[in-house]
Amino acid sequence: MTTTPPRTGRRLPGLPGRLGRLRPVAAAAAAALTSVSLLAACSGPPKENAGGVTDVRLSPSTPEAGGEIDSFTWAVYAEPPTLDYTVAFDYPQNTVLSNVCESLMRWTPGLTTEPGLAQKASNPDPTTWVYDLRPGVRFHDGKEMTADDVVFSLGRQSDPDNAAAWAQVFQNVASITKSGPLQVTVKLNKPDSQFPQYMATAAGVVASKAAIEAAGKDYGTTGGLGCTGPFRLGTWNKGQSIELERFDGYWGKKAKSKKAVFRVLTDPSARTNALLSGEADGGYLIPTESYARLKNSGTGTLYFGEGLSTVNVNVTDMQGPLGDIRVRRALSLALDRSGFVKAGLGGAGTVTNSLTTRAAWAAAPERTLKTAFDSLPPTGQDIEKAKALVKEAGATGKTLTVATSSIGQDVSLLATAVQAAGTQIGLDIQLKTIAPNAFTALFTDPQAREGIDMFPLTYYDSITDPLDLLQNFKTGAYMNFAGYSDPEYDKLVDQASAVYPVEQRMDIEAKLQHHASEQLLWIPVAEWPTALFMNKRITGAPTTISYMYYPWAADVGAAQ
Amino acid sequence: MSFVRFALRRAAEMAATLLTASFVVFGAMYLAPGNPASFLLAGRSASPEALASINAQYHLDDPFLMRYLRWLGDILQGDFGRSITYRTDVSRLLADRLPTTLVLIGMSLVVVAAAGLLLGRIAAVRGGAADSAILVTTTFAVGTPSFVAAVLLQGLFAVNLGWFPSSGTGEGGFGDLLWHLTLPSVALALYLIGMLARVTRSAMLEALDSDHVTVARSRGVPERQVIRRHVFRNSLGTVLTTGGLIVSTLLVCTILVETAFSIGGIGQLLELSTTTKDFPTVQAISLIIVALFMTVNLIVDLLLPLVDPRVTLGSRSAAV
Repeated sequence: MTTTPPRTGRRLPGLPGRLGRLRPVAAAAAAALTSVSLLAACSGPPKENAGGVTDVRLSPSTPEAGGEIDSFTWAVYAEPPTLDYTVAFDYPQNTVLSNVCESLMRWTPGLTTEPGLAQKASNPDPTTWVYDLRPGVRFHDGKEMTADDVVFSLGRQSDPDNAAAWAQVFQNVASITKSGPLQVTVKLNKPDSQFPQYMATAAGVVASKAAIEAAGKDYGTTGGLGCTGPFRLGTWNKGQSIELERFDGYWGKKAKSKKAVFRVLTDPSARTNALLSGEADGGYLIPTESYARLKNSGTGTLYFGEGLSTVNVNVTDMQGPLGDIRVRRALSLALDRSGFVKAGLGGAGTVTNSLTTRAAWAAAPERTLKTAFDSLPPTGQDIEKAKALVKEAGATGKTLTVATSSIGQDVSLLATAVQAAGTQIGLDIQLKTIAPNAFTALFTDPQAREGIDMFPLTYYDSITDPLDLLQNFKTGAYMNFAGYSDPEYDKLVDQASAVYPVEQRMDIEAKLQHHASEQLLWIPVAEWPTALFMNKRITGAPTTISYMYYPWAADVGAAQ
Repeated sequence: MSFVRFALRRAAEMAATLLTASFVVFGAMYLAPGNPASFLLAGRSASPEALASINAQYHLDDPFLMRYLRWLGDILQGDFGRSITYRTDVSRLLADRLPTTLVLIGMSLVVVAAAGLLLGRIAAVRGGAADSAILVTTTFAVGTPSFVAAVLLQGLFAVNLGWFPSSGTGEGGFGDLLWHLTLPSVALALYLIGMLARVTRSAMLEALDSDHVTVARSRGVPERQVIRRHVFRNSLGTVLTTGGLIVSTLLVCTILVETAFSIGGIGQLLELSTTTKDFPTVQAISLIIVALFMTVNLIVDLLLPLVDPRVTLGSRSAAV
């Protein structure tokens, strides 16, 4: 599942689910007060050209840390509004929180799932999951973890008054009860293959009931978080930085650094400068336009890792010309994917004809992969064929509108690429530039999508399962903006949701993948890896998107 | 006009302006696309019960006027409400971030006043090569948007020379804060230094041409005294009246400069809350900005009669 909230201005490229920063031309209030001529005094920054890299190889990991360090500083592009785990559904908050709060299960740097605070998860029947808790685990407030804390923590996720971002994960949950001092039983209304996987994300976080109740309305914004992770929340200097301190009562492997300091650096060039000058030792989500600078700086190493993210063109209107599959095919055929990867993703990315990343299929056998990936529409350009398709569909000269915004190059340059493709094949493609805050509204507000046929969208999976993305085309699914509906597809989604054995499930998912890619419900463009920079002082952080839910900062220590 | 009447008039004006501004901002936020609840849910689908609960908690379903009046009533009782995005009281959010922005704007103001007045004075009094040099430099300064200035200063003094930190506000005490805010305040000030220098220069040139300067010189008053007493003082009124303009520019541009230097102040908070339609936060910050702006205007009006005897209290209408 992904979120797709707000993404913002000159930050890095497109992360669905980003509460981003917009580049204010002038904030509403100021505008109300100030004459327009004044604004010339501080007009926005000029457009930068991409400083890309070539020869991008994904690293499975980074060299292990040699020893302990006192502290390291990490750059994040935005401040988490709150660190309440129930609303932690965006890069900045998850990057910090994964080191403080732990879940029942644990996502590993290799993107597999293993036991976390539960030492065992068992499934005695299709609608029951039993979690046996690790004994002797202490919260940061010194109390020992019991089944009551688990019941309470998970209960907050489905409490309607709490507006949890993870509520959907619990949609099939009938009850969560304590079945022993260290045992919790989850009863489902129907089999749900996604629920146990989500227990490795922030959806499965366990925090101290006492701590949460004591903090009341301010839980997540002031005071501690009452969690169990290798770090505990230290000083939170609002708007500036968040300090984590090593938790000496940690049940697992002790963190290698006494402190981890997260510095909020909203401006991409400020972030890059901080990495170059050593003010920050490392960071994830490096701005694409800085890849080359950091790679060649000699101050550290730029790594790329598996991101479970794809960049797509999200089709939002099937009532218009895009309702004809021939027009969607034509656009897909005319799109210069490799040109976009070079410019829009700083050269780090691979063109794809699949909506899901290959890594999401890690557990699938070879024959399943064949079904899922063979005979998908081509990624190469074929302008002539595309032209013919448009003609055949009677769409020559028809107008299509693609939304764009100055949010990141993944958005603005993909919109331009779509326009270029359409123009070459006889379509009239209009760009509709929207302010970053309105771009965010595309995900949440049907009115904002009026008059728009498609928009660029980067999507990441929170679990290693292609269904996370593919369920979006089910009738009525939240991200199914085009209102696509196919009873056959819906049936397959329900089947896959109900099948626990991974190989069987992926067989069904392969059919879904084939159907969605064939139909071009979104037009897939590229796989987008994660980027990680660490200077010469530190090493040890994982390269993959696992950092969202895995206590990665505990692995960071002194470089040899 | 008596001081009491003046004070009453200004107080009424301020209240009316604040009220209008708050209504305009609230209305603009109301009309913009997107719903705060959806940002709160990080764009995930939510059960109807959850949505209903949020809407009830934050009164998002109430009609516009009712919501506005409710908010107004709370403000009058000193309650700025609770931020939808940050899930904490707005007053706490502001207390955490306002000081940084005020220090930044204060520093810029000092830099602007010192450099702008000095350059303008030198250009007017010395003339010749100094005047041309200052004219060229100020042309450059006025043509440099503060964002560009921020990037240039950062590149030169923080990244290449390493003299100043490139971002943030530091971990230390007040000294460290000033150290961190040096580059941002210069970036913020650059355009205004250019503007103020030019205003000062032309005001002083005008004063230099006036009859009483000629009279003073013919009486043998030393040139330095002429400049100080007659020329500079007479031009101060003109300079002061740009104060309101200077402060409003600082308030607008601080949003961009805070962003460029990653200073988590009010500017950045406003930007973020606008994005997520965090009504209570945007309203509170807007009101603070309007209030600051008006306060500066008031100070200018109170000071004018002191520096320029020809002006009486309240004869310059507030430029809002």
